[in-house]
Amino acid sequence: MAEEEEPVDMKEVYEEGCKPKCGKELRAYEACQKRIEDDTTGEAHCTGQYLDFWKCIDKCAAPKIFANTR
Amino acid sequence: MSSLGKLVGRGLAVAGIGAAGVVGYGVYSPVYANDEVLHPPAYAWEHIGPFQKFDARAIRRGYEVYKNVCSSCHSMKFLHYRNLVGVAFTEDEAKILAADTEVEDGPNDEGEMFTRPGRLSDKFPDPYANEEAARYANNGALPPDLSCVVKAREAKEDYIFALLTGYRDPPDGVVVREGLHYNPYFTGGGIAMARALYDGGVDYDDGTPATTSQMAKDVSVFLTWASNPEHDVKKQWGSHMLMTLAVFTPFIIWFKRFRFSPYKYKRLVFRDQW
Repeated sequence: MAEEEEPVDMKEVYEEGCKPKCGKELRAYEACQKRIEDDTTGEAHCTGQYLDFWKCIDKCAAPKIFANTR
Repeated sequence: MSSLGKLVGRGLAVAGIGAAGVVGYGVYSPVYANDEVLHPPAYAWEHIGPFQKFDARAIRRGYEVYKNVCSSCHSMKFLHYRNLVGVAFTEDEAKILAADTEVEDGPNDEGEMFTRPGRLSDKFPDPYANEEAARYANNGALPPDLSCVVKAREAKEDYIFALLTGYRDPPDGVVVREGLHYNPYFTGGGIAMARALYDGGVDYDDGTPATTSQMAKDVSVFLTWASNPEHDVKKQWGSHMLMTLAVFTPFIIWFKRFRFSPYKYKRLVFRDQW
């Protein structure tokens, strides 16, 4: 109990670990990033792909997160 | 032949109703104005399930998080210190918590208002005097009262947890207005509240490592309890009901048959010639 350890939040670790499982969504997001690179209208954005990607990450990571909390 | 025809007819009718249901659902399924929002996943809460109760220690830690982090902006005006007694704190502990606050009371014998230390019967203190003060202090945004916030959000405690841990960089091409912060779980993405929970943000009494997800989980459980204080009792009574009914149902069925047996076996005879 006396040891002063910096607490590590496992949520981010799990989310990082889930990224390989969401390659399809990540590639779609990166393709969108490339597509809107030279957009001048200011209207283009990648929210759809971004939300798909994080939905996939959440689905993969959510069951594990509470295992490392009290 | 005709019975077969009836059977086929009945099958068609059932199929027709089913098809109507599917079509009806298609027509009446809700369409949300803003679907650009990330729906939170279902987390593995300890209190989800027919026989599960709240984790009292999590409520206790969640109160600490609320007290140290949230309460500087968010009120909980429907909660009193006495509500904590027997849930997460003993009466003496709750009295000490209440005594830390200052409450305006009065008038006294001279007609003056005075401040006194809080008592168990006092409400949680409001961080702001009124809505205008709250908006002025928060760039025009009103921090919602948290007394019933879990009931007021579509994904309940999942939303609270996801929101508190969900501050991320915005997607490409999205410009977040000044004074707002990007959070995909918040409708529209731009939320006035900044990320509030950081690792080690709270020193827990029980020595639990205060990671961001630990604090978010605890405060979500605390807010869920605040919104549904009847939760544990409700499930207890529900299970008592089910168990009692399970024991008595055979007896009730037997008793009904017993009472009805004279009628079941009665035979009426009409004599047309007397």
